[in-house]
Amino acid sequence: MAEFFAQYMPAWGAYLLTALISVALLLAVVGLGALFFIWAERKVAGRIQDRLGPTRTGGKFGWLQSLADGIKLITKEDLAPADADRLLFRLAPYVSLAPSYAALLALPFADGWVGWEINTSVFFLLAILGLEVFGVILAGYASGSKWSLFGGMRQAAQVVSYEVPLGMCGVIPVFLCGTMSLTTIGNMQAGWATNWLIFHDPFTFMVFWVYFTCAVASVNRAPFDLAEAESELVAGFHTEYSGLRWSFFFMAEYNSMFVVSGLAAVLFFGGWNGPVPIFASWKAAGGGWEIVADLAGCLNFIGKAVLGVMVMIWVRWTLPRLRIDQVITTCLKYCVPLAAFCFVGALAWQLASLPSPNDWLSPDPAGRAAVREPWVERAEDGAERSGTSGAEELARLAEDKR
Amino acid sequence: MSLIYIPLVALMLFAAAMAVGMIAVGHFIGPRRSTPVKRMPYESGMDPVHDARRRFDIHFHLIGILFLLFDVELLFLYPWAVARANPEGLDALAEAGWAVDRGLILGEVLFFLVLLALGWVYVWRRGLLRWR
Repeated sequence: MAEFFAQYMPAWGAYLLTALISVALLLAVVGLGALFFIWAERKVAGRIQDRLGPTRTGGKFGWLQSLADGIKLITKEDLAPADADRLLFRLAPYVSLAPSYAALLALPFADGWVGWEINTSVFFLLAILGLEVFGVILAGYASGSKWSLFGGMRQAAQVVSYEVPLGMCGVIPVFLCGTMSLTTIGNMQAGWATNWLIFHDPFTFMVFWVYFTCAVASVNRAPFDLAEAESELVAGFHTEYSGLRWSFFFMAEYNSMFVVSGLAAVLFFGGWNGPVPIFASWKAAGGGWEIVADLAGCLNFIGKAVLGVMVMIWVRWTLPRLRIDQVITTCLKYCVPLAAFCFVGALAWQLASLPSPNDWLSPDPAGRAAVREPWVERAEDGAERSGTSGAEELARLAEDKR
Repeated sequence: MSLIYIPLVALMLFAAAMAVGMIAVGHFIGPRRSTPVKRMPYESGMDPVHDARRRFDIHFHLIGILFLLFDVELLFLYPWAVARANPEGLDALAEAGWAVDRGLILGEVLFFLVLLALGWVYVWRRGLLRWR
């Protein structure tokens, strides 16, 4: 897009315009996404508990329920307790919301459809998602209420613990692909579903489940929602919040759910590359067809991410909540060693050049085994690996195969 | 400042403007009738006992320290994961006089993980994972 605008204006102007357009699009996605997920959660929860959920607002299925709730929340009184640390109390919702928005910036929706193309996006995403915990700790501490304090402390212990296995799971696709750029990682999984990294070897298959568990814990969802724990801590860290400030925590939570599911989709499920490579030829055709292929890929990616969110919702309404010591034990005694084991296993699998299902299942030689050990690639062609542009990378890999 | 940070700054400004705007709208629309009872911290309908800022379990602090140890060390894995696949990283290693081969790359990270595992076993033996 920046190239298109650059025909009409100086480079910095084109860059700024591109940035503004993508940021506006992302914010729209975020707003609508949160409304949709909250509605979906209420419907799914209703069905799981054998009731209907919202049915009236907006005609059928109560699809305007979240919007109505939003309007109601705007008209509510914005209260702060007398004991609260006023500045921190007011700041906390923003601190919670901003990182979860900023994380979307580096998440690619299709090949090249990313708000901010950086070659360290995996790292950026994990780092910025880790910032969200500050908002909850601030809210818990600043409220001046005991329930809030308990919630905030639990959240702090839980989220920082789960950062460790989450980072370890995230590094596995990174070293398999040899890059931290999510666009490149997604493009390397083009072709059939057998080329997805989750099917690369048994260890990546195993580590996806560890990743998903840790992701659920790190976005503070049941069965790990100890910071809220409505049956024991009233409402945990947001007990004292009301109105829109309160809703910001939820927008942040639903948005983070989408981000971690999207990250899982790119890291393990091929991102915008479908189970069957239908759009590969369209992509190659260029011009308008390329945009159609990208749009289909974008829908594909959103579908996978929404599926992840739906699984989280399903888990929330099915499993009972853990105790804080069980949460910490699950992380440090099970998730961390499992992730480390999978790390070593996947590394050994790749270094020994053991087969992945893609080697014999894929009927299409050109799309086969785009995920290769970078070391072998280098020894073969000796060419420079810039690792900046995903499309170039893919073209080069396809060339190597022929 | 480099052009590359423009999207990040733009997003921060947009998000902040949106959030502050929404709060401001709520501020003007919503009622403001504060009473002493409303401003009390919620304690299940009772009058609050004591201040909320009191001592809590030392375990939360220890878990925080544990996180610092493990996570900061884990961050080294990311540069390693990229450098091992990158000619620049490998050439730098070769220039430094290392015989670069697969064994070394595996050995390096295994050594690192063994160090982490030792720390982890120590933490476990010291009973940090046990809540009483």
